[in-house]
Amino acid sequence: MKLTGPLERVLRVMLSDPTAPHYGYDLMKAAKLPSGTLYPMLARLQQEGLVDAEWEAQREDAGGRPPRKYYRLTADGLRVARIELAQASSPVTARVARRGATRPVPGSTQ
Amino acid sequence: MSQAARAQRIGEWLIRSDCCRLPADVRAERCREWIAELPVILGDQSIRPPFVRTLRVLTFCAGISRATRQLSRATRAGSRPARNPKWQTGARQARPPSVAVRTVVGLVIWLVIVFGVITALRAHPDPHDWPFLLIVALAVSFDAFCLADIARAAQVRYLPKWAWALICLIQSPGGGIMYLSIGHISRPRPVPPGDAKP
Repeated sequence: MKLTGPLERVLRVMLSDPTAPHYGYDLMKAAKLPSGTLYPMLARLQQEGLVDAEWEAQREDAGGRPPRKYYRLTADGLRVARIELAQASSPVTARVARRGATRPVPGSTQ
Repeated sequence: MSQAARAQRIGEWLIRSDCCRLPADVRAERCREWIAELPVILGDQSIRPPFVRTLRVLTFCAGISRATRQLSRATRAGSRPARNPKWQTGARQARPPSVAVRTVVGLVIWLVIVFGVITALRAHPDPHDWPFLLIVALAVSFDAFCLADIARAAQVRYLPKWAWALICLIQSPGGGIMYLSIGHISRPRPVPPGDAKP
């Protein structure tokens, strides 16, 4: 699995509350992704067993709203997502730190 | 009908027609999932003013269109052998022509058309013939459309395909009109999920 920018954002959103179920629009809004990116990604994650989906039970108080499909990270997905995000964030922080070290802040006397 | 209800209906219709691209086993479920998102978007009070919600529904549907394309491509890539069993008998791997091949074929067809037009204009330098040439061009392109339709159709009505092709070529453009009105069978569109209810 290649960690792309959108995927990283989705994983971050899902990891921020790993036990909570997320539905599609929720994820779209939180990760700021268009539906055309999000749903194929979710389908891929589901195929790889990192995310599993379930239908909301029909409730009486829903006010005639059709049941939604909720996505949730599986145990496997949780583990993989943590590892991937940790790996993704470390080179970036390293690069930022390196850049800060090599390039002087404008205005500073060096 | 209120604006929200109209947006809901348009969105449902768009999503249903997009879902026709998906393989039959996941079609209904996907369609249900995406249609369930529409009321959420339309009821999202954080999006203001209300007509932006309608716009949001439309962009959502545009995204769904992209998603269905991508998903159907993914499933097709996974199950390609099952799709064209006729071509799988030989050792040759069945592949749709690449972009380069299609570009070359398109260019050749385009050049043939351009040269045809140029020679026709040379043969008839008289400007009075131009309307005639225009009609001929229209008839030829209509014939080409009909022939392409016959070639791509799974089956045609009343006559064999070659007979319809012959009719289209001989009686232009009447044969094409005849084919389209009698012989043409509109492709059985996959039934949009959710339309089964009375």
